[in-house]
Amino acid sequence: MQPVTPRGFRDVLFDEAREREIVAAAITDAFGAWGYEPVETPVVEEYETLRAATGGDLDRTAFRLFDLDGSLLALRPEMTVPIARVVASRLTDTPGPHRIRYVADVFREHASLRGQARQFTQVGVELVGTRGPAADVEVVLLLIAALEVAGLSSYLVGIGTAEVLRALVERAGGPAEWRDAAIAAAQSRNLVELDRLAGREDLTPALSTALREVPRIRGGREALDRCDALASACDCEGVVCELRQVWTTLEELGATANVQLDFGIMRSFGYYTGMQLEAYAPGLGLPLAGGGRYDGPLAAFDRPAPAAGFALGLERLMIALAEQERTPRLEPLDAVIGGTESAGVFRAAARLRDAGWRVRVAPGRTGMALVRDADGARAIEALVADGASVSRLDRTGGVATPLGDPVPEPPRLTWAARGGDER
Amino acid sequence: MIARRGTGDRLLRMALPKGALYAESVALLARAGLDVGALADPGRQLTVRAGDIEYIIGKPTDIPVYVAYGGVDVAIAGKDVLIESDLDVVEMADLHFGGCRFVVAERADAPRSVAEIYRHLGVIRVATKYPRITEAHYASRGLQVELVKLSGNIELAPLIGLADQVVDITATGRTLAENRLRIVDEVLASTARFVANPVSLKTDSDRVTGLAAALAAAAAPAEEG
Repeated sequence: MQPVTPRGFRDVLFDEAREREIVAAAITDAFGAWGYEPVETPVVEEYETLRAATGGDLDRTAFRLFDLDGSLLALRPEMTVPIARVVASRLTDTPGPHRIRYVADVFREHASLRGQARQFTQVGVELVGTRGPAADVEVVLLLIAALEVAGLSSYLVGIGTAEVLRALVERAGGPAEWRDAAIAAAQSRNLVELDRLAGREDLTPALSTALREVPRIRGGREALDRCDALASACDCEGVVCELRQVWTTLEELGATANVQLDFGIMRSFGYYTGMQLEAYAPGLGLPLAGGGRYDGPLAAFDRPAPAAGFALGLERLMIALAEQERTPRLEPLDAVIGGTESAGVFRAAARLRDAGWRVRVAPGRTGMALVRDADGARAIEALVADGASVSRLDRTGGVATPLGDPVPEPPRLTWAARGGDER
Repeated sequence: MIARRGTGDRLLRMALPKGALYAESVALLARAGLDVGALADPGRQLTVRAGDIEYIIGKPTDIPVYVAYGGVDVAIAGKDVLIESDLDVVEMADLHFGGCRFVVAERADAPRSVAEIYRHLGVIRVATKYPRITEAHYASRGLQVELVKLSGNIELAPLIGLADQVVDITATGRTLAENRLRIVDEVLASTARFVANPVSLKTDSDRVTGLAAALAAAAAPAEEG
């Protein structure tokens, strides 16, 4: 048979795998520097657990399976709910707040022929057990830090809140169908439908205007003021108060250069209960990251607590880095070492590794065959071990110069400075 | 899947649907004061640069895909195609042209009524180009259907005994009538919309919202068609 991977799944090999490792490590190190601790959870959860915490969309996106006991399970579609479950079930005796980071594979079902992956990697944080502008600021700064250390040259972080629209819709009152339709239109980004609904005859002019305008507001402090004015005219004062404090702190920190307020960010309404955030790379049609403040999942697990966080899509981030020519540079292998006597080869390789070299062994290989091995492995040096001595090979496979004792520093350290030409 | 378009200064990219909506789309762009250049007669060109916009002329059903995956920043697309695609785009403005209705139709001279067939066979056979919209419609009516997706000339399906009813778009109802089909139910009404990629709306906000405002202003509301 010709084996294949299932649709929407793929293997990640060598260079790509190393590049992903480097980027993920840079981000998790940045999270670690903020005191965030790693958590790993099972790939599968009880379907009921996920459904209780997220509701709605899960039916369409969950990758479901039955186990032998007939339990309905699902592969985790994201990490927020599994982490909420951990907090609600494992950390009840540990005083919060909890600062948690993760790198995790998540799974979503998609119809075929839409070019969508069914498995992807998320790198993210959750800050559980604290609310207020300071906590929101921390989350925004972590997202900026992640995008910076990943190496992006250009990015934009959008922050907003669904609370304004929610307040306006509540204020408008009227039939439940109208309110549901307004929320649904905002969430599916259907501004045409929202405009139509805002034309409801019994609404005050101020409410109609606010419903039409608020989802279109984005910018800096002036956006906040505009939104505030529109909401206040509808007796919804104070609804942007928290966001204003977040923005003020970010301004004080000089951290708003790549941040924009955006009242059009309407991530899942049932889920987020305050600030929401997204990150974008110009020219890339889908967000790199998304998140916000959510209180629902923990309440669903009978451990109500405020929480906020975000997840970065590693695959999208790697695409953005490639587009910006910021893919991390991979260091080459320092050497392939051969020789007629196996033990001598292993011994010499160990000595090189002790000196910081990255070395692949090729016992039994010498001469031109060894040079070809080194070329195939894109190694900088081809070395041959002979008793206690190690020598370089020249391009024709002849023994050239002895490596010397003590072992010199790994050639890859000076390789980049020499312009990166291999061998 | 994400479109990869490189970085740096770039033209705003806008997709236009070839076919029924094309001429009116170009006319609207011109009314909104945009340079339409070679758009009026593009020949076989699939891309046309005019002013500071690069236009992509695509098959109507592919346009939501171009927008959602970021291959283009903005587009004009029929509401029908947007619903059927079920993709994530921002619907910015109703352009009030290209009006049409989704309707359910059946043979005017059918020997047995669909209700009678349903009573005995428990299922209605339906042919359509729009499976998602059709499925949602019958589900909302609580009717069981066997749905077959065809690529065109939907009105043939009842005539050759393949389907009891069809769900199709119509502007005037004439094609249906010519094929001895009568309209028995309304599904939804559609007009052309101006849509944007969600990220382009954030990262190229001024150009996208400016264009939406200009087109909305130039698109005079017309009567339902």
